[in-house]
Amino acid sequence: MELTTAGVATLRRDPDQAATGRDAETADAALAAAGDGRAFERLYRAHVARVHSLVRRMIGPDHADDIAQDVFVRAWTKLSTFRGEAAFGTWLHRLAVNVILARRSTIGTERSRYDHAEDSLDDVAGRPSAPELSMDFEEAIGRLPDGARQVFVLHDVEGYRHEEIADMLGIVPGTSKSQLHHARMALRRHLER
Amino acid sequence: MKDQWTDRLSEYVDGELAASERTALEAHLTACAGCRTTLDALRRVVARAQALDDRPPTADLWPAIAQQIGVVRRAVRGRPARRRFSFTVPQLAAASVALALLSGSAAWLIMRRGMVAPPAVGATDTAPLLVNASASASDRRYATQVADIERALERGRGQLDTVTVRIIEKNLGIIDRAIRDARSALTADPGNAYLNLHLAQEMRRKLELLRQAATLAGARS
Repeated sequence: MELTTAGVATLRRDPDQAATGRDAETADAALAAAGDGRAFERLYRAHVARVHSLVRRMIGPDHADDIAQDVFVRAWTKLSTFRGEAAFGTWLHRLAVNVILARRSTIGTERSRYDHAEDSLDDVAGRPSAPELSMDFEEAIGRLPDGARQVFVLHDVEGYRHEEIADMLGIVPGTSKSQLHHARMALRRHLER
Repeated sequence: MKDQWTDRLSEYVDGELAASERTALEAHLTACAGCRTTLDALRRVVARAQALDDRPPTADLWPAIAQQIGVVRRAVRGRPARRRFSFTVPQLAAASVALALLSGSAAWLIMRRGMVAPPAVGATDTAPLLVNASASASDRRYATQVADIERALERGRGQLDTVTVRIIEKNLGIIDRAIRDARSALTADPGNAYLNLHLAQEMRRKLELLRQAATLAGARS
């Protein structure tokens, strides 16, 4: 998938950066593109939590460090394509999504991507009334089938639209909507426990 | 309990139903307690998702990233920023690389504040020398350095694509504005250590950006 800033989602979670902060990041991106490692480290420290959380929610914790690291290495090599039209964080975030989606197949998360079976979604709620099995919301997201989890994270957590998600995942918008509803219904049961 | 509208509730939450469907669903909601309960729950799920906190990794990934991309980690980390410009010989030695980059701006800063400083930035001879040079002399020295690099950059400008030139010019504008602001603030509070440091950093940043741009232009010529 070509990395562009056009059509990037209006991210609900995108920090409402002050103009000066955004200018500073744009300047750091320019310095980093010219080889300034310190400028790139500043960008890393500003965005690592968000990138790592995205990876963890999309892929799971086992490969999160490895893939988050890969995101920043890829960002370093692609800095020359950052044109400053969007915030650096938005550009980096889209790059992170691309890296994550590219890595899915190599770590076997393709299995049951778009499994509609209610049974597998029921697992998210766990066994009813068993406090020892309770999990936090993040863990519940992690137990969704891959397809439903990725759509849920991209839509409800990250703020992408169904059309963008469909384009990223190679599905039709209707499937994205359906997966989102299944995910929400499963997580609703988790919250009701 | 599930009815014909249950699977449309998420679209309703997201405002994606057509007007006629929305009207029909809202009429249904007035009579269906089950759908109202499900709708409330779905809204709680969405709110919960949007309120998730981002957490950094348990281990710092930067050292491995820096190694992969081939940048050298800073020698001194985690040390609070110093606001007084008094350096020991070991500190000067340890910071020699950084000081080389600071050449123009640091000299300007030191002379402006009339402090005891080494005779030349990065020099190994650290015998102190009381500098009473005027700020205008250091300004001229800095301006000369900037002008030299700008001339080199102008010669190689044709080798850079327009997008790169635009980004460089935009960022130079940002830095110039920061320099102007810092200088303006210093006229009211010349002894403010933070402002002096900030000004020096911005001047250094401008020099670095110009040097890197000139190097980039030269590399493509």
